[in-house]
This record gives sequence, structure tokens and C-alpha cells, in this order.
Amino acid sequence: MGLLLVAVPVLLVLWLIVWPIVVAVFTTFQVDTPKGPAWSLESYSFFFTDGFSLGNLWVTIWTTAVTTVIVIAVALPIALYLRFSNGKLAAYIQSIALFPLFVPSILLAFALIRTIGPNGMLDTLLNAAHLPKIRSPYLTPWGPVIGLTWDNLPLTLLIVLSGLANVSTASVEAARDVGAGSLSILWHIILPRIANSLLVAASFIVLGLFSAFTLPYLLGPAAPEMMGPFMQRTFIDVNNPTEATTQAMITFLFCAVFAVFYVRSVASSQRRRG
Amino acid sequence: MTDTSLTATAAPRLSRRIDWPGIGFAAFLSLVILVPLLVVAIWAFTEVWRYPSILPQKFGLRFWGATLGRNDVWSALSTSVLLATTVTALSTAICLPAAFAFARLNFPGRNIFFLSFLTVHAFPKFGLYVTIATIFLGLGLVGTFWGVVLIQLVSTLMFMVWIPVAAFQGVDRRLEEAARDVGASPARVFFYITLPQALPAIIAAVLLTFVGTFYETEGAWLIGAPTVRTMPLVMITFINSEVVVQYGAVLSVVLWVPSFILMLFARRFLGPQALGRGLGA
Repeated sequence: MGLLLVAVPVLLVLWLIVWPIVVAVFTTFQVDTPKGPAWSLESYSFFFTDGFSLGNLWVTIWTTAVTTVIVIAVALPIALYLRFSNGKLAAYIQSIALFPLFVPSILLAFALIRTIGPNGMLDTLLNAAHLPKIRSPYLTPWGPVIGLTWDNLPLTLLIVLSGLANVSTASVEAARDVGAGSLSILWHIILPRIANSLLVAASFIVLGLFSAFTLPYLLGPAAPEMMGPFMQRTFIDVNNPTEATTQAMITFLFCAVFAVFYVRSVASSQRRRG
Repeated sequence: MTDTSLTATAAPRLSRRIDWPGIGFAAFLSLVILVPLLVVAIWAFTEVWRYPSILPQKFGLRFWGATLGRNDVWSALSTSVLLATTVTALSTAICLPAAFAFARLNFPGRNIFFLSFLTVHAFPKFGLYVTIATIFLGLGLVGTFWGVVLIQLVSTLMFMVWIPVAAFQGVDRRLEEAARDVGASPARVFFYITLPQALPAIIAAVLLTFVGTFYETEGAWLIGAPTVRTMPLVMITFINSEVVVQYGAVLSVVLWVPSFILMLFARRFLGPQALGRGLGA
């Protein structure tokens, strides 16, 4: 009875997630020879010797690293503030920081272009203040970094906040009573307890950025481009599904460590709740 | 908005000490999060705004009629609504019974099947879509409505199973047992006791699915191009190749409505802690 009720969604996962990945392993590691398919690393060696592909992979890694650091550097102080204060100002900060959850990335891209793009609001204000225009980050690698930071801030904040819930106010006050400074409290008491949450947040960002499409496509340069737009163009414009699948497998590979960590963390938190 | 809330909250604190970090965070976040959205909102109600004027030369609603009178907007809107409705209905129909089974019944492989939905989120999603698209090429599903439905359906599975499972597990079993003791049938217990208690979370999951599908861009493009044109794809065209800024601005405001409804609902039914835990923290 139970098996029957769960059959359809489970079969969907098998058909549309597990099966395509199995097929992808075969298509990318095999080439057709006159004697039938044979194992080969050809499509991977093409990717890793092609300067254009490597440039795209590199800009993806760069964007991911920079964005992850910025998002956590912005989210952590806000989360610490929210954990140890209350009142109307804290409530305002929390709701405004979570607001991007409810702004789809397609609308965000448009808003950012109108704000920091050429002749956007920022240029207008600089001009009014008789200051020189800045070089707009729009269509440079910094465009996606800004958009993706904006987009990832709320989820990171939520994850860090839920980690901070494990830090008891009493332990912080006890440390303060024996004369510990703010920094040493952060380093010795708070960070060890939220290290796991920070890693979950980082995994979340890494997995998201290796598959980000809309923001890099609209805000980033045409070349080098991030893996999302690159795969899309290889699949649709270049019409080379095998190469696109190889690129997909390479994103899986680069995210594997974070994916395993994320799955283990979610699975164990599910078990804890029964 | 920023000014009033700042003064309103800072004033009572003045008597003790000024909350400088709080004011700093509030000002910083208001600037980087609200200003870009405000700029779009102003553009939507602008008729003439030439650089480098700080404010529009002429406000007006002229572009609302022009945007909403476009055929591509209306056909994309009906495609998007039809897609989101189909995906949500299918997802509800297959996931809710499964969620009930996971929460209440014992069967072989229960845990492993339950965790199998995690695979959807354990890979970079776009790469996953590419591997699915390669399969769909062979099946002739690329460029079709149902191909897009399937790819969007997959990404709704985890939330549509996991959120209702937690809801069903949270239902007070003693109430159900009491109803059974006074002679209620299992079906009656389900519809009068179990379902009403789990309903807010289920509605939240359904709404999340509908809104998420409505804005889903990359799967629809990868599988649906060029025949299936959804609202986000029209918006991309406006961003890339439309000279008149107002079209994109008006469409942004219109497109934001589903998200706004979700936001109002989320504030009532989903606390930040619940959301954070759902993400695996």
C-alpha cells in the first residue's frame, strides 16, 4: 500500500534524475568506433585542452569563490546582530534582508541594470553630485557577482541564523563575565558551533552558482561566460548535446564534495527529527 | 519607508544608547536591496525620463496600456499560467499521497525512497537539466509543452513531499485516536481531523510550487525553446533587445504579483526558523 502511494514520484526521480545521469556517464565516456562503442576520455580531454572552455570554467570558479566569501562576510555580521538583539530595528533588518527571497532573479537582473548599468540611477546620482561616472560592473564578471550575492543573501542568512540558534546566550555571557573580548567570543565560542551551518551555506551557494543561469546570462560578459549560459549555448545554439553533457558532468564533479556534504547534513538533520 | 522606520525605532533607544550597528545594517540593506527595486517602480510610472535628470520629466500610465496591449505578453502569460497550474496540479496529485505514506505507513525501502528526493537538489540543477534534455531529445519532448511540464515537475518533488510529510507528522495522533474511539471511519478521521491540521503547511507547499514554477526560467528555455514562450522568456527579450525601458519596468511590476502574494502568505505560515531547517541547516 505504502509502496503504491510513493511509486509515481519515486519513479519520476529514477527516470528523470538517476537515468539521465547514468546515460550521461555512458555518452561522455564513450566514443563510437566501427567495432561499436568504446571507452574514451575524448570529450573530457577536449574540454580540458580547449582554452575557451577552460576560461569559462575558470570564471565560474572565480565567481563562486568571490561570491561565497562576500555573501558569508555580509550575512555573518547581520546574523550575529539579529541573534543578540531584538526590537523593531532588528525586525526591520530581518525582513529587509529576507526580502530578496521574494524577488525572482529575472526581475532582479532588470532592476540591477537600471540601477548600476550605463546611464542607470548610480550614474545619474554621481552626475548630479558632479562626480565622474564609475566603470559599470554590468557585462563584466562583477555583474554576476553583485546579482548572485543579492540573490543568495537571504538563504545564507537563514542557514546561519538557524545555526546561531544553537549558541546559548548563557555561554556567551559566561565568557564575557570572565573577561573575553567580542572577537575571542566569536572565534572560540560562536564559530565552532556554527561551523557546520557555514559549510551548509557555502555548499548551497556553490551548488547554486555552478548552475546559475539567468543572472550570469543577463549581467555577465559574453566571454568568458559562466557554466550555466555556456551549457545552454552549447546545447541550443551550437547544438552539441554530447559536449553540453560533458560540461554538465564537469559541474557535477566540481560540486561533488559540496553535494556530498549537503546531502549528509540534510539527511542527518532529517534523522534527528525522526 | 526607510527614514520613518529608522527614526521610529531609533528614538526609544536614544534614552539608553544609540544602536549604531543596527542603524548601519538597516541603512546598508535598505540602500542595496530597496533602491534597485524602487528605481524599477519609478520607471513603471514614467513617460519621459531622460538622462541625467534625477527624477522623471513626466509621470504617467501610458506604458501600462502599451505593455499590456502586446500580444506576446498575453500569450506568454497564458502559457505561464497554464504551465504553472498543470505542474502544480500534477505535483499535488502525486506528492501528497506519497507524503502521507512516508509520514504514516511502514513499507520496505521507506527511508531510502524518502531521501531519494534529495538527489534533485544534490546536483547543480542546470547540469541536471542538460542531462535530462539530452534524454528528451531522443524522446521528441524538446520544444513541447509536456517536456517543459516534466522538467519543472521534477524540481518541485522534494518540497512537495518533504513539507507535507513534516505536516502530517506534526498532527496530534491523540485527536485521531479519540475520533476513532467514538466510531469515526478512517476516511472521516482523515478529512475531518488529519487534513485540516496539516493544511496550512500543504497550502504553503502548493503555493511555493506554483510561484516557483511561474518564475522558472532555465528549464523552460532549455526544453521549450523556441516554441514554448513563458513570461520570464518575454522578460529576457525585453531586457536584451527592447529600447523602451518602460515595457520591462511595467512587466516587472506585473510579474512581481505572484511573489508578493507568496510573501504575504509566507509571513503568516512559515517562520524563518522553519525555512532554515528545511534547507538542512
